[in-house]
Amino acid sequence: MGRYVLKRGAIGLIQALGITIVVFFVIRALPADPVARLVGFNATEDVYAQAQASLGLDQSVWSQFVTYMSGLVRGDLGVSWVTGSPILSEIRSALPVTLQLITLAFAVALLVSVPIGIATAKRPGGKLDKAVFGYGLFAGAQPEFWWGLLFIFIFYYTLGLAPAPLGEFAPSVSPPPEITGMSLVDSLITGNFAAFVDAAWHLWLPVMTLAFIVSGPIIKMTRQSMSRVLGSEFILYQQASGLPSSQVARSTTRASLPPVVTLAGILFGFLLGGAVLVEQVFAFNGLGSYSVRAVLNLDYPAIQGTVLIITIVSLLVYLVLDLLLAAIDPRVKN
Amino acid sequence: MTRRILRTTRLKVTYPTPTGNFTAVDNVDLSLSAGEIVGLIGESGSGKTSLALALLGLVRHPGRLDGSVKFGDQELLELDFDELREIRGNSIGLITQKPRQSLNPFLNIGTQIGRVYRAHVDANKEEAKDHAIELLESVGINDAPRRIRAYPHELSGGMAQRALISMALSAQPSLLVADEPTSGLDVTIQAQFLDRMWKRAEETDTAVLLVTQDLGIVANYCDRVLVIEKGRLVEDAPTREFFANPRDQYSKRVLALAGERAQATTATAEGETEPLIRVDGLRKTFKLDDGKILSAVSDVSFMVREGRSLGLVGESGSGKTTVGRLILRLLDADEGDIWFRDVDLTKLKTKAFRDYRAKIQVVFQDPFDSLNPRWSVEKILREPLDLHTSMSSQEKVARITELLQQVGLDESVRTSRPAGLSAGQQQRVCLARALATHPDFLVLDEPTSALPPVARVEMISLLKSLRESLGLSFIFISHDLSTVRELCQDVAVMYLSQIVEMGPTSKVFADPEHPYTRALLDSVLFHDPDNRRVDREHSAALQGEIPSPVDLPTGCYLAGRCPLVEDRCRTEPQLLQVTEPGHSVRCWKAVQKYVSQGDGE
Amino acid sequence: MTIPTSPPVPGEHPLEDLSDEKLKAKRWYHDVLLVTGLVIVTVALFLAAFGEAIAPYDPTIPVGPPSSPPSGTHWFGTDTAGLDVFSRVISAPRIDVTLAVSAALLSGILGTFIGLMAGFYRGPLSALIMRISDVLQAFPVFILAMVLVALSGRNLTNLIFALTFLYTPIFIRLTRAEVMTQRERSYVEAARASGNSEWTIAVKHVLPNSLTPSLIQLSVTVGFGILLTAGLSFVGAGVRPPNPEWGLMIANSAPQIVLGEWWTSLFPGIAVSLTVVGFAALSNAIERRVATS
Repeated sequence: MGRYVLKRGAIGLIQALGITIVVFFVIRALPADPVARLVGFNATEDVYAQAQASLGLDQSVWSQFVTYMSGLVRGDLGVSWVTGSPILSEIRSALPVTLQLITLAFAVALLVSVPIGIATAKRPGGKLDKAVFGYGLFAGAQPEFWWGLLFIFIFYYTLGLAPAPLGEFAPSVSPPPEITGMSLVDSLITGNFAAFVDAAWHLWLPVMTLAFIVSGPIIKMTRQSMSRVLGSEFILYQQASGLPSSQVARSTTRASLPPVVTLAGILFGFLLGGAVLVEQVFAFNGLGSYSVRAVLNLDYPAIQGTVLIITIVSLLVYLVLDLLLAAIDPRVKN
Repeated sequence: MTRRILRTTRLKVTYPTPTGNFTAVDNVDLSLSAGEIVGLIGESGSGKTSLALALLGLVRHPGRLDGSVKFGDQELLELDFDELREIRGNSIGLITQKPRQSLNPFLNIGTQIGRVYRAHVDANKEEAKDHAIELLESVGINDAPRRIRAYPHELSGGMAQRALISMALSAQPSLLVADEPTSGLDVTIQAQFLDRMWKRAEETDTAVLLVTQDLGIVANYCDRVLVIEKGRLVEDAPTREFFANPRDQYSKRVLALAGERAQATTATAEGETEPLIRVDGLRKTFKLDDGKILSAVSDVSFMVREGRSLGLVGESGSGKTTVGRLILRLLDADEGDIWFRDVDLTKLKTKAFRDYRAKIQVVFQDPFDSLNPRWSVEKILREPLDLHTSMSSQEKVARITELLQQVGLDESVRTSRPAGLSAGQQQRVCLARALATHPDFLVLDEPTSALPPVARVEMISLLKSLRESLGLSFIFISHDLSTVRELCQDVAVMYLSQIVEMGPTSKVFADPEHPYTRALLDSVLFHDPDNRRVDREHSAALQGEIPSPVDLPTGCYLAGRCPLVEDRCRTEPQLLQVTEPGHSVRCWKAVQKYVSQGDGE
Repeated sequence: MTIPTSPPVPGEHPLEDLSDEKLKAKRWYHDVLLVTGLVIVTVALFLAAFGEAIAPYDPTIPVGPPSSPPSGTHWFGTDTAGLDVFSRVISAPRIDVTLAVSAALLSGILGTFIGLMAGFYRGPLSALIMRISDVLQAFPVFILAMVLVALSGRNLTNLIFALTFLYTPIFIRLTRAEVMTQRERSYVEAARASGNSEWTIAVKHVLPNSLTPSLIQLSVTVGFGILLTAGLSFVGAGVRPPNPEWGLMIANSAPQIVLGEWWTSLFPGIAVSLTVVGFAALSNAIERRVATS
């Protein structure tokens, strides 16, 4: 088992590196000009050349690559062309914000979707089932940034049940020191109850927005999977063998899990880069917002760093889920 | 005198559809008594499985049950879940058609059997485990303590079925409902399984409802016969009476056809013709994921003459299917030659071989799977003509008409797609396709195994008449010995990649020399209730499961199961040796016996 | 954001009271899902072609008092620059829908072809394609989209190429899986035994029987494309102003939301939402029809 983890880890690392390398060359192949972006379109030749040298872009692509890779093996992701700060530390601040957001959204979505999916599978064709199917179809097709705005309009502007979308904390509240980078965790650790409440107050709307979107596919998949298992031969046989209904129910749930777990993994990986829109709307400084700034500013090292980190985290998540799957289902070969 | 166990009155199973209710089981009255084995026969779709499930008060969603099912003095259809659960798996056991799908894929079989046991008997995990081991041993699984840790997907069909039956019998039920329990099992394994089930029923006075489509099973194991057609019970008679005098149309037809077949003479050959296909030293192995070598075909040599047919007989792992594929060059052999007249097919390049494909054709086992689901019959039959002939469109159309006539299909099927045809019709289309380019040789790979009984008989007579009229030669791959007897003049018996006996069908079937051939012939279930298998001695029976052809031993491959095994068998590789002209055996004992017989004359 | 879905599974749609044993197809006009999908898709395609032509005002120049709520002259009101919201909403499909449909078709064709090759021919190339496809699955799609578009210039052609590049792996995976199932079937062996070349078998026999999952996915992919385009434009990495595009419109109106100006974001949002739901509904309806045929 340990060998399997190691093997997957090694492959994952190679994949992540592969993607970063591809991105490295692709962005340099594209016609955009980051130097011009930095110094403006009316800069003199000297200023331009100076800026170009400082960014390392006067070198050949290959030597740029070598420089970058040698930095990479030392754990150095380079410096942002915009802020001048080390990429690694910038990402280290941004990533936990996104992780907290996504994890909470997933938790909420799973807690609500899975029981509903299970309940409707037991009563196919009923009113609840149709309503739930419609919801699943609808929710999975929504532009989440618009729903974020809509929720802000309804809950903040009209009902006053949510704070203004100004980020993780209200401007008047002093945020806790950055230990893990997650607002809730940090305030708890430092015993700052007021900050904790404020953080939760600012989190509930973006979490709900994301949970709304993600719950669509999860409900559909849970219902589908559960329905298939309920009609399966082995569940029928368990009933024929006179097993107690609690055992049959447990069997059914266990057998329904694998596709849902797989889907959750895919969605999670997706949200890592895709929560950007919600982050923008609610002004959270997560990895998504960071990546938008990086792209719009043509900040190459930042782009490369973001891609690398997100890929690594996604692959880690997939690995964990695959192990989970193998634990649930003995048919999965290791 | 005999105690009545179960009785149904006006039992109905209906399923709701958008266009109204569909009645699967229509007002069935039946009763089962202690110790009796009752066969339930019917075509697919007749409602047999719905009826079988209903006896446990079970129905597939969204069906419903109506009427009365009285088990002892309890009315099953009025009980609630907990009351029913005490009966199911306890007093009434169920065996299904697809054992591997009926087992819980997430638990090993020891745990599963234990759970069923503990659902009905007050026992702890240890006791349940011991009980599971005991049960598995009682159904013939050696090495049970190790086997209980296996998961269902790791078991063979036969093993899974044994695991299932041990679950069903674990609480000593008074009624066992067995829904086509041997479909998909090899012939010798089927015999073992049914023998065991029969014995158990006799010992414990259990009533058994045996659902099947096979009249041979009915004749050999059942006391009484029920026939179900479109949800209604059309016959209920003791076995002997049923075979002598069936009342309903369906049974009459099948019995009549079966009777004809029993009367049919064994195919024999007169004189010698030119060799058409000659196979020499064929060998094929596969490398498995874990590095082991699977021997599919080892040192196989035989010859088929013009106008003659060779039956290739064997069970799982025998290699018979692979031989067919090698001849067709759908697979390439590791070693050996395949001669078609005077051309060595193995030496031809792919493109050159394509021309020969017009002369050597094939019909596969699964008729629906062998046809492109999106093509019409016309298009399917045109393809070989397009590929190998330079006929004009009109000529092709005419040829297709001719082919349809030859295989007994109506013109109207021309525009149909495979899904709109019955299995029998589909297989005829496959046959027509094979005949399109006037082939000299046909490889028939279990062409009748997937057909319902009536279609099967029709296909066999069609093959016979075509052989006469077109002068075809073929190799008929099958596990069905009665069909081979009727159709093939010569037969080769294969076991675990080797030919173990070969010769004229009349000789081999009348006097089999190899222990495996004997066991195989012994497992054939004849439609004769006066000559039942359960009433005979079975000294020829083989023990245990059929192993897979991986890591084969040095000596005789059958050594582990043969009733006549000696030390010499295990150490000495067995060779195919001729005993009489045209008849060869791979067993030193058989050869010795023959020789000594010859000396004694 | 574009939510990925798993490959279609037959027979799991509760909007009809269908039993397992005998499924009979309902008349198509009674099928709520199908009708909804068809209507919305037809309207979307119609507007993509003629939207701008039938718009009451020019969608790119100010035509009324800024920030005025819906009224008789401006049914959806005007935005902060005085542009008519209604005209912009119905002109946007020319970009959004055309883009998404083009990308979906291109990636569908490309992905199906590559998937066929990868699935039918065994060997190292097939494995390599799958590895690449797997790796792309771990990729942050939105970021990659941003990168591709922002760095090559924010014009429509580049957007189409970016979307095509992103969606092709989905079709590769779907087709490959189906092809791998089909190639094990006896009719493929029969075709071989009849004397077809491998290439003919792949194209004439296997391909037509492997298209179903991809066809179902096409409609859903159009929906994804619209969402992605809108999302990209929202963050400023997509279509340039003053082109009418739903995402752009929502982005421009976002700051006004907190001031109570709801019409500038509500209507484009509803448009996106409805359109994508329509494509998804159509896809689901087709999936279910195929499953019961």
